[in-house]
Amino acid sequence: MRIAQIGLISSHTYKSVLKVPINLWLIGAFMILIFIALGSSYLSNLYHQHNVDHYGQEVRDRWENNPDKHPHRMAHYGYVAFRTKYPLSLFDNGIDSYLGNAVFLEAHRQNSVNFSQASLSSGILRFGELSTGLLLQFLLPLLIFFWGYASISGEREKGVLKLFLTQGASWQEVILGKSLGISLVSLFILLPAFVITFILLICYPQTLSITLIAISLLCLLGCYVAYIFIISFIAVWVSARSSSSKASLIKLIGFWLLFTLIIPKISQVAGQIFYPTPSKIEFDTIVEEELIKQGDSHNPDDPHYNAMKDSLLLAHGVSSTKELPFNYSGYIMKEGEKLSTETYRKHKDDLMSLYQKQSQVVLYSAVLNPYIAIKHISMVLSGTDFESYQMFNEAAENYRYSLAQTMNDLQIEQISNTVKSSADKNAVISQQNWIDFPAFKHDFLSFNKMIKSTILSIAALAIWLIIVVLLTVYFSKNLKAI
Amino acid sequence: MGIGLVLLFILGLISLHIGKTFNERQHFIIEQTEVAQTEHINRHLKYVDGHIGLLLYYIRFGLANEAPPLAGLSIGQRDTRQAAQLVNIRNLEEQKNTSELVNPFYQLLGNMDFSFVLIYLFPLIIIALSFNLLSEEKESGRWSLLAVQSGNPVRIIKTKLLIRLACVLLMLIALLSLGSLYLNISLDQNLLAFSAHAVLYVMFWFVLVWWVTSLGKSSNQNALILLSSWLLLTTIIPAIVNNLVSNLYPIAQAYETTIDSRDGYHGKWDEPKEPTLIKFKDHYPQFSKYNHPEEASFSWLWYYAMQQMGDDESATARIAMKQNIEKRINLTNWIGYLVPSIHTQFSMNFLCKTDMHNYLNYLEALETYHEDLRLSFYPKIFEEEPIQNQKWERYNLEYFKDQRHTSWMSLFPVMILSLGFLLAARQNR
Repeated sequence: MRIAQIGLISSHTYKSVLKVPINLWLIGAFMILIFIALGSSYLSNLYHQHNVDHYGQEVRDRWENNPDKHPHRMAHYGYVAFRTKYPLSLFDNGIDSYLGNAVFLEAHRQNSVNFSQASLSSGILRFGELSTGLLLQFLLPLLIFFWGYASISGEREKGVLKLFLTQGASWQEVILGKSLGISLVSLFILLPAFVITFILLICYPQTLSITLIAISLLCLLGCYVAYIFIISFIAVWVSARSSSSKASLIKLIGFWLLFTLIIPKISQVAGQIFYPTPSKIEFDTIVEEELIKQGDSHNPDDPHYNAMKDSLLLAHGVSSTKELPFNYSGYIMKEGEKLSTETYRKHKDDLMSLYQKQSQVVLYSAVLNPYIAIKHISMVLSGTDFESYQMFNEAAENYRYSLAQTMNDLQIEQISNTVKSSADKNAVISQQNWIDFPAFKHDFLSFNKMIKSTILSIAALAIWLIIVVLLTVYFSKNLKAI
Repeated sequence: MGIGLVLLFILGLISLHIGKTFNERQHFIIEQTEVAQTEHINRHLKYVDGHIGLLLYYIRFGLANEAPPLAGLSIGQRDTRQAAQLVNIRNLEEQKNTSELVNPFYQLLGNMDFSFVLIYLFPLIIIALSFNLLSEEKESGRWSLLAVQSGNPVRIIKTKLLIRLACVLLMLIALLSLGSLYLNISLDQNLLAFSAHAVLYVMFWFVLVWWVTSLGKSSNQNALILLSSWLLLTTIIPAIVNNLVSNLYPIAQAYETTIDSRDGYHGKWDEPKEPTLIKFKDHYPQFSKYNHPEEASFSWLWYYAMQQMGDDESATARIAMKQNIEKRINLTNWIGYLVPSIHTQFSMNFLCKTDMHNYLNYLEALETYHEDLRLSFYPKIFEEEPIQNQKWERYNLEYFKDQRHTSWMSLFPVMILSLGFLLAARQNR
């Protein structure tokens, strides 16, 4: 293989694609769509962040402005946590629209995170949303197939191919050159998308450093380039192996359908069969039943709490809970919160790992399906995959737990043991305690963790690249020139 | 092409199975909810002996939104909603917005239900079968021969297209018949209207192909035009509409509702009791004769009055939110009249009762149901009726019935569009 020869063929392919007026129109249309997609994501992200800040501040103000009161009332007053979007989500919206945005956090119970975009949609969301992800992962391959389906079969039909090969170009050079040429044309769509994303991210009022943005985008760009090269290669390879351009086009559209719609949907069905997940009512029932078994802190005859009471009385050398040097009911509630949270989290973790396994079934198909590989990588690096969402989910639950337990501790330490109810005028503590409790905020998944969780998909793209090389080197000899 | 048809048929069968699984799961969930409700009530009847207000703090009553078997053909957003919800008589706002537990990644990939196969895959097979009917004849040089031999060569092309139409329709009807048997769908107006939408959608695509054929372009150009139309109609336009609609009608009220209901209730604990009670009695004049015992730090009247405030004080934001969702639906519907894919999907979801309107209606029914429970229990709580005097076993799961009638008018948009293309094709000859 000669590099110069490959360069010559690729620049020839590149020029011949750009020579056709319709292709320029298509590229133009794509650019407009990318512009609309990024623009509207930018605006909606900005609006979302504005709301998160605005309502987040309102929640905070209201929390701090609560008067002096019994801490347990504050535990019930609770907090509302809003989800901040990762700035890069404007590039690829991933599963973001299916994730809840607001959750009410209170003592004793874990509420669901509500108000996903999907739950507020007219139903149109089912068709998908316009995002760079959709355009570059889903539609661009079709465009590449359109550019590439006749790349070899067409020349064969015209009789030019034979001429080409007898003039000294080898099969390997032709295949690689043409694949590169088509990839180069695709860069006209890919590069502007990244440049605009970069500019918008710089303008976005955000928390990410420019270095992180640049590194993330470069990684993404690298993967996307690999993806379009693989797709271009498939187009050229199928064209080379097809008897006619028409046959090649039909095969390629078949591949496209298989990659983007059929394999993901079928593997999803398989995932549901292998790893069935509980419904909400099943989940709630299981958790509730287990909590009942553990004991009821409200029941005076409950064995678990009676045993605890006896040991406390013994340790402090007193005969009734009233004589204990701390607030007994606060102590009991703390114990109850701990147990119920442990139980809930155990089941929640089980559910999450089931989801993870379900998703893995689809993600494993990345080995067969570069579309899934890039979709996954893009989603993870844009902070719109499940793992990123878990950062919020876990932060909110930790915050809820720490809020409840902080209030319980305040009750244990500062509320007299003889107080009967939270309505007692003497059973109040200062507002300062609310102000001292920090505001809710959540971190994003770190870049290292993102890369780690995409390893499999990056490997899948790498495997595809190896396949490309192997096919070119070893199997292109038996292709037909006429 | 035979392979394509067979593959499509198999995918159609898989989609029917997905629908069946969905229907069974819905039933299972409703059954479980029913069991959970009874067990929950019985358990608390054992635990709680005292004030009926305390019992009603705990126990929950269910309202199911049972999907008809037809829903298996077009699942819509049903899989993300709970098939039945259990609510206690405390404030509803904190309870009603919970959704079903679904893997969000799977939601992103979307269900492959029958409507998906119809809306996305059928057009592709139609295009593949017939994009080059005329152009191929011309390109192979047979056309001039045909034109000489036959008096009316266009009729041959027409016949060829009609045969393909018949094949595809036959397969569609076969799938629908199998589906109605497999999913136990009764032969009613909804099924007929659903089938009519499916047939019309298929016809639309044939008419579109016929129109493109009439332009007399080459096979490659035909393929390009038709594939672009498919992409535009099934992906690009709906995606743009989605972004447009959600940016046009943002729904920040969702957050406001959450905060308002939280403060509406929880804030009341530390406020003087009198204003809360007055607001409660303004809302329910029929309960003005009940009073909070003076000097008492707690009464169930005051407690439920506070709970009521959670709903009352979030009403403004809640109504605004609902109005915005309705605006979203209306705009999408209007645009849908011009976009057969959107219109067919929405009409099918409507017939299957899996659309957003069904959910809004259900929420409204849930509000009424909840209100009825309150109205029947409030006097009992305020009168301090003994728990044993109630017939608790009578409180079973209740069912919401979506009363919307089958609309045949919704067949017109796609019909008119198809006729338009048919006429345009006639002009081109």
